[in-house]
Amino acid sequence: MSNLNGKIPQDLTSIAEVEDAKLAAATEQSKSQSKIVLERFLKHKPAMISSVILVVITVIAFTSVGFGPIPGWWKLSYLDAGSVVNGGKPTLSLIPTWLGGSGITIGDHPFGQDSVGKDYFALVMNGAQKSIIIGVVVGAVATFLGAVIGAVAGYFRGWVDEVLMRITDLFIVIPLLVLAAVLGQIAGRSSGSIFALALVLGLVTWTGLARLVRGEILSLREREYVSAAQAMGSRTSRVIFKHLLPNTIGVIVVNATFAIAGAILLESSLSFLGFGVQPPESSLGLLISQYQNAFLTRPWLFWWPGMIIVVIALSVNFLGDGLRDAFDPRQSGKRRRPRAGLFALPTRKEKP
Amino acid sequence: MSHVAPENNAGEYALSFNDLKVTFETSGPLVHAVKGLSLAVRPGEVVALVGESGSGKSVTSTAAMGLLPSNANISGEAKIGNVNVVGLEQGKMRKMRATDIAMVFQEPMTALNPVLTIERQLTEALELHGLAYGKAATQRAIELLEMVGIPEPDKRIKQYPHQFSGGQRQRIVIAMAISCDPKVIIADEPTTALDVTVQAEILDLLRELKDRLNTGILLITHNMGVVADMADQVAVMFQGSLVETGRVDQVLLHPQHPYTQRLLAAVPRLSSASITAENEPHSAQTAPAGRELVLEAKDLVLEYNMRGKIFRAVEGVSFDVAKGEVLGIVGESGSGKSTIAKAVIGLLPVAEGSLSVKGHNLPKLSPKQARVVRKQIGVIFQDPAASLNPRFPIGECITEPMVVHKVGTKASRIKRAEELLDAVKLPRNVINRYPHELSGGQRQRICIARALTLNPELLIADEPTSALDVSVQAVVLEMIQELQRDFNFACLFVSHDLAVVDMLADAVVVMRSGKAVEQGMVKNVLHAPTHDYTKRLLAAAPVPDPHAQAVRRDAWRVLNKTK
Amino acid sequence: MLKFILKRLGSAVGVLLGASLLLYILVINAGDPLGDLRESNADNREYLMQQRIEYMNLEQPWYLRYLTWLGGVGKCFAGSCDLGRNINGVEVSGLLANAASSTLRLVLLATVIAAVLGIAIGVLTAVRQYSGLDYLVTFLTFLFFSLPVFWAAVLLKEFMAIGYNNWLEDPQISIGTSILIGVVAGIVLQMLLAGSLKRRGLTFIITAIFVPLLLQYSVWLNFYRYPQMGPAIIVVLTVLLALSATAMSVGLKEKKVLYPALITAVLVLVMYYATFWLLKDANTWILLIGLVLAVLIPGLIGKFMGGRLSKLASGVSVLVGVVGAGLTVLDHIFRAWPGFLELKGRPIGTIGSSTANLGGGFWDSLLDNATQLLLPTIVLTIISLASYSRYTRSSMLEVQQQDYIRTARSKGLSERTVIFRHAFRNALIPIATIAAFDFAGLIGGAVVTETVFGWKGMGDMFSTGLHAVDPAPVMAFFLVTGTAAVLFNLLADIVYALLDPRIRV
Repeated sequence: MSNLNGKIPQDLTSIAEVEDAKLAAATEQSKSQSKIVLERFLKHKPAMISSVILVVITVIAFTSVGFGPIPGWWKLSYLDAGSVVNGGKPTLSLIPTWLGGSGITIGDHPFGQDSVGKDYFALVMNGAQKSIIIGVVVGAVATFLGAVIGAVAGYFRGWVDEVLMRITDLFIVIPLLVLAAVLGQIAGRSSGSIFALALVLGLVTWTGLARLVRGEILSLREREYVSAAQAMGSRTSRVIFKHLLPNTIGVIVVNATFAIAGAILLESSLSFLGFGVQPPESSLGLLISQYQNAFLTRPWLFWWPGMIIVVIALSVNFLGDGLRDAFDPRQSGKRRRPRAGLFALPTRKEKP
Repeated sequence: MSHVAPENNAGEYALSFNDLKVTFETSGPLVHAVKGLSLAVRPGEVVALVGESGSGKSVTSTAAMGLLPSNANISGEAKIGNVNVVGLEQGKMRKMRATDIAMVFQEPMTALNPVLTIERQLTEALELHGLAYGKAATQRAIELLEMVGIPEPDKRIKQYPHQFSGGQRQRIVIAMAISCDPKVIIADEPTTALDVTVQAEILDLLRELKDRLNTGILLITHNMGVVADMADQVAVMFQGSLVETGRVDQVLLHPQHPYTQRLLAAVPRLSSASITAENEPHSAQTAPAGRELVLEAKDLVLEYNMRGKIFRAVEGVSFDVAKGEVLGIVGESGSGKSTIAKAVIGLLPVAEGSLSVKGHNLPKLSPKQARVVRKQIGVIFQDPAASLNPRFPIGECITEPMVVHKVGTKASRIKRAEELLDAVKLPRNVINRYPHELSGGQRQRICIARALTLNPELLIADEPTSALDVSVQAVVLEMIQELQRDFNFACLFVSHDLAVVDMLADAVVVMRSGKAVEQGMVKNVLHAPTHDYTKRLLAAAPVPDPHAQAVRRDAWRVLNKTK
Repeated sequence: MLKFILKRLGSAVGVLLGASLLLYILVINAGDPLGDLRESNADNREYLMQQRIEYMNLEQPWYLRYLTWLGGVGKCFAGSCDLGRNINGVEVSGLLANAASSTLRLVLLATVIAAVLGIAIGVLTAVRQYSGLDYLVTFLTFLFFSLPVFWAAVLLKEFMAIGYNNWLEDPQISIGTSILIGVVAGIVLQMLLAGSLKRRGLTFIITAIFVPLLLQYSVWLNFYRYPQMGPAIIVVLTVLLALSATAMSVGLKEKKVLYPALITAVLVLVMYYATFWLLKDANTWILLIGLVLAVLIPGLIGKFMGGRLSKLASGVSVLVGVVGAGLTVLDHIFRAWPGFLELKGRPIGTIGSSTANLGGGFWDSLLDNATQLLLPTIVLTIISLASYSRYTRSSMLEVQQQDYIRTARSKGLSERTVIFRHAFRNALIPIATIAAFDFAGLIGGAVVTETVFGWKGMGDMFSTGLHAVDPAPVMAFFLVTGTAAVLFNLLADIVYALLDPRIRV
């Protein structure tokens, strides 16, 4: 609406006329909500940086060691042991020779080797792959369940709502990690596939989102456009899927990303405790668990998987934060000048 | 705008503005909210600052309090007594608040802190400004509550805000404002959120306090009736500038500026009603022959189920609306008027009695039959900001009823949407815009278009103009009248505003606490009311004429005493 | 109010029962409890299997096993719990007492620290939205959110514990290091205190000069092995506190507040000498009674001398009294430290919840418990600190938009009063509900933390029990943590009702 003032007659004497004149003079392309959100998201620097990092990690993790039957470009497999070279130290170097380093080089074992000479880069990439798969599957399952159950509970209330609230209470008395550990052990013993583990984790992590969606639906269903849709005789499914859920998309998308980060961390904790991914399969949590005592002798065995988890989880969380700002610009946007210090003495003079 | 502009001897003014300019830095261009305003309030005088939304009237008052957000740039002068508060240090500004300038806010439900007792909230300003401490402060607070008319102030002072009604909370906010004897009180739409009878009481209170304490009042309002009732001087703002100032009778009765003229012309007025006389009970409704009834309610009872507790919102109400007629339902908040609208559009089940649309009794219909009946009902709601799905483009909003009832093809739907946009006088290219790009009045016109998409036999309008500015309201009301003439639908018009109903409706039902206290033709009920409550309602609604309003005010006092 | 609590308690018991049934069924189906014996080649294999079947009632159907367990729990009300036997035939109730106390101590301590610190940080960052501090804290909370618990725990163990213990053998701080620490402290402090550029610069310069000097002086004193404070420093600190607290609240001119605060400071000195020998060999009761007195006496002094400002005067005096008492205790801890170092050369513990056969007096075992508790508590605190601070921040920002905050400002209240009296209480209301979920999260975190630090606590009972498909210890874990969670939840509900009169009245 920037270049409007010129086109509006200045002698109007009614608000209604001014508004209509503005509308008639508006030349800008209309923007749907999704487009506005996307534009805001693209301007969110931390989220964009995180997106790039995530894409790079994902691409490297899947192409380097290959996925399933598809071979990767990395020459070594995470299953093959070999001779330990130079104590298994990483050959990756990023310090150029003119700075006294050994030059920018990747070497044979950029992340080093473990005690039996397996290439640690391949092992870590394989683990990262697992983490990403688990994150995405858990995120998808939990988001789907949470959105549907939350919407149904919020719209119909009644017994669905009652059940949802009781399940929520359940998670206050049985911590999520404990329930996930028990289910993880069951899934691990019965099939051992990470998809089974991911599915099981999805079955226990949907409640948070369900509660949020429920709350959102409870407030949205009082909106007049929903009443209007009901009054004109819309079917319930249309009201829920056309009017209610699309308007909770912000909550859903944002929390889906947080669910992904949460799932990655949960899986690593479970694997660390021995209730998640079982050997001979490997995951980042399991690697840390195996090598936590090698910290003093071979620190890289501990650092690499941990760093990868942190970087993935941090990026996903920042991505979610960017999405939240994009969907709900209330708390960002306008910048306020900082107020006086909290611990400032009352005699201090502040300029308004 | 001659004699109210401040001269050099500013000492005699409680509050004065001199060439005040306020701009806001936003992500877009600079917004000029106030463009050089000059105005003065003397002690014991009420100056009304009148304008519609976006006129800059609230920004002006916030500037005087020094409470504008930090992205605001202020220039010019805003003087409280002799002190210019523009650019004043925060510490000094804080000392002036409450003692020199105080404020009464619009929304009494949210203006008080819910977790602190009334005592705490009243005494903290007294203690802060060193007027009274401890028990003495509590004593003073009790006196203040008594002064603003809270019964049993010594007991109620220990209570929390949620234990008071809206009107009482506004009284408490006023008590807070006068607690430190300020030179001037800014009352920012102090009665907008209240019912008319409560509004009349609060205005009475403000007038009495002002006379007693010799405080100047800057009254910010959009309601011309309130202006006529309270103000000595009037200043009219439009788009950030003052367009007209003067004495109240001069401005309201002989407006000079075209904006003021149009604004006053847009205010719906009650035709003269005899509220003091004992009127003859009107004869039973003599329905003209050949009425084709569209909506008929008989002994209607409606209930809400609040966590197992049944609350009767409407009890034994009967009415009917025929083709081409408009039935107004009026009442204050909690009277059950909107509940009836809800039941007609099927959002609330009928507990007892019958509610028929074109002879089909709604409670007895199967869902499938009900859908067919609903096709013939159009709805307009109160809040234009919430009544359109923000994700739908305007075209989809308008044609949604066609999609729901599977009427027409894609092309015919677009054609229909364009016809309807013409009917509500909006450009056709709006079809691809989104609701957030439209103003409130424009959105309400879209809602009207949507309600008319399927050529309904019955239009339900639930407070369709109460969230709109006066001039926008006039446009929307005119449009509804015009469309009703063209399409000849029956209309159930729910409103709290008697003047609007008077202008629009043929018959009216006056409701109070779920019951119909009086009903009949508008010319009988609103022009010669028999029930005391109707009279009180009529007397409490202020009219934009200071002389007429003075008469009504006295009538209202008499009625209120006998209640 | 009572009805409200009883109702919540009733529904909580129902949830507890349902959850126990669910967990029981899941655990006994989590594998084969006889798995290791089936693969074993031992001669007495059959006998061992038979014995285990007997211990665990494996011949019974699942519902009978559950009911047996439930019946045993029911006996707790008669004073004799029977929580069944574990896979090796050991009575679980015997194992429980030690495990429960160390785990609950850990979780409660972490909850309290995280809640207090997190809420404080949340308020601070909300008040200074979009400042450097806000961005830094935001980044750190995101980092903490993204940190695997076990990984952070191992890092802390390696860096903090082992690093500190090594350093303590011969505590030296090089000049370079102390300057670096000074600069960092200066940057952090100017962020916290904020204000104008000049003020910030001054804060930074003073800190950056003062801190390195202090560090070098402390090294020269050999403070880290032989810390000392003494009555002189205590008195200086308490008097300074009395002066600054008065200045911050009403100003030094207000004698009604200043005098009680100064009298309290003098009393602290008197009490320091009076209790010296008593505290030399203290016990928990003495310390608790001391704390109560340190609140009560200054409170009364303030109340009687404060006049119309009695509330404020009591507050300031109590603050001075409590800090003075704390300093007195700290002085005794300092005195006990060299002796403690002789008993335990590498003080920061990484394994177990206490050192076996430590010997020494009250202060030594207190120090031992504290040093063993230090790392796990830090780990757990970090996890929930992030969520508390984040929620408080957004809650405060939300509340600051409310109309009643504008009303408060329009009365001329100072920004601090607006924030603490009007905004803070309202902002706490939603936090009370989050606390219950957070507590459950911390118990989950404790399972991981105990594994890393080798505690024989509830977490250990749970994970070894689950690995062996042994329901008795897992259910014992559930019984303790579930009940704790329910009680904590109840506490949160009560706090909620206390904060929000709309629920109470």
